[in-house]
Amino acid sequence: MIPYVNEYDTPNCNTLAETAKKSIRTPESLGLDRCIQCGACTASCPAARFSDYSPRQIVKKVLENDHSVLESKMIWSCFYCYSCNVRCPRNNSPVTIVQVLRQMAINEGIGVEKLAYFLEIGEYLAENGASKVPETGIRNMEKDLGERWIGIKRNLGSTRSEMGLSSRDFRNTNGEVQAILESTGYFEREKWIKIKIEEKRIHGFVKTNYSDKDKKNGEFGFESDRKYTGQEAITV
Amino acid sequence: MKAIESIPDRKLLLFKSCMVGQEYPGVETATRYVFDRLGIDYCVNDEQSCCTGIGHYTDIFEGLTTAAIAARNFAVARKCGYPNITCLCSTCYAVNKEACELLNTNAEVRDKVNSIFKEKGFDDLVYEKGDMDSRTNFYHAVEILLSKVGQIKEAKKFDFSGVKAASHHACHYYKVKYLDVVGSPENPQLIDTIAEACGASPVRWYEDRTLTCGMGFSQLHLNKNTSLQVTKTKLDSLQRAGVELMLHMCPNCHIQYDRYQPVIEKEFGVKYDMVHMNIAQFVALSMGADPYKVCGFQTHSVPLEGFLEKTGIL
Repeated sequence: MIPYVNEYDTPNCNTLAETAKKSIRTPESLGLDRCIQCGACTASCPAARFSDYSPRQIVKKVLENDHSVLESKMIWSCFYCYSCNVRCPRNNSPVTIVQVLRQMAINEGIGVEKLAYFLEIGEYLAENGASKVPETGIRNMEKDLGERWIGIKRNLGSTRSEMGLSSRDFRNTNGEVQAILESTGYFEREKWIKIKIEEKRIHGFVKTNYSDKDKKNGEFGFESDRKYTGQEAITV
Repeated sequence: MKAIESIPDRKLLLFKSCMVGQEYPGVETATRYVFDRLGIDYCVNDEQSCCTGIGHYTDIFEGLTTAAIAARNFAVARKCGYPNITCLCSTCYAVNKEACELLNTNAEVRDKVNSIFKEKGFDDLVYEKGDMDSRTNFYHAVEILLSKVGQIKEAKKFDFSGVKAASHHACHYYKVKYLDVVGSPENPQLIDTIAEACGASPVRWYEDRTLTCGMGFSQLHLNKNTSLQVTKTKLDSLQRAGVELMLHMCPNCHIQYDRYQPVIEKEFGVKYDMVHMNIAQFVALSMGADPYKVCGFQTHSVPLEGFLEKTGIL
């Protein structure tokens, strides 16, 4: 399989660490080499608090140039809240490194099925100049939020008009956004991702017994920190 | 650290937010209402597009697309003569600020973006190094409000004394470019200071104050249970602190707390007493704005009528 080339987010380098440092997703001053594995990132991470996610372990794997990290489901648990970014005493930024790892995974066709939910964002932006919650998300929100929210959304146009706004959040981008997305290669990449998702879907039909339950913590050779289960969140 | 004296009140492009426009239009109208009354020189420009934030942080857009869209929006701001980009959404703020830094420091990306513009005949979009300053051209609307806190206090038409309010400062405002925050990124107090000027009693510190809202871009949709657990943790803490009003500065956090509070109540069998609004909506109310025509509270999920009646507005 030919990986997708995304030279700015995931420049081709000898090591994961080099790619992370050269990527435009990470700050220029990235202190990856200065990481002392203190765990301040994991300590301040909301995902680590409620799941097996550990930014400290991810950074360790990157420094060890262990490519199995790309296949770990862990990298898809980050909230992109940047708490680790602000707290790291060595100016490292696990949150932006994870963004690079996800892009590298996507290039290899790993985890692309997670993008299916959001792929329409691109075409919608090209057409309307704005973004919106994808249709599947809207359907889930309708289920969760019920009649009140459905009513709010139904009346949005008239509510906006009563407030002196245009009935919808109109953007006039003169086709420029569409043209930019064409030229940066966005649509090409979107097409590539869609093909990969389809391939995976067909492949998935063949081996349906593959279950998450068979996999224990510490998948893909991650050492497990779960002997210490952490502090339970205090509830009222 | 950003000095409060350096925050401009002229030539502000009030940067439209997709989530504000589609979920809480009252955040935009309330901000405009307050800006008008504070004599702030700003404009809204329909040519401005989405910052790409939602797609960028769900890993859909690559960095080059985000940089190119940002460069186009910078051109829109400069062309209309309002180069101080002032955001209603913390993600727009972070995306734009980071893209500006990238365009100024990375010649390869800048040249690539410009070659795309030239190839398409968009010569007026071309970005030259230093066209925008990542430190002095990007603000969040809450910073503008903070810089006018004295005027806000004077313009108070309504007294919120005794209202126990807690702030939720948005992660992408103070944890992304953390050196450019007004105050300490470990304990931001912008919303609290503004709320106090309106007469409210801010709960300056509560447990898990700096915890993220839990939306996490793809997380709400792909890992909903974890996402709501994070949200619940902060709501629990606020309930323990006896908070009745939670003040926001980002539509994503606002959705997560206001829209999902009833969902959490149902799914986890809990009950919360707090209502939600953006700090600009709170300031507008304090200045005498209509709760529906200006603040747009009819689009909120947690009904505000009880709070408005209790404080004597309704």
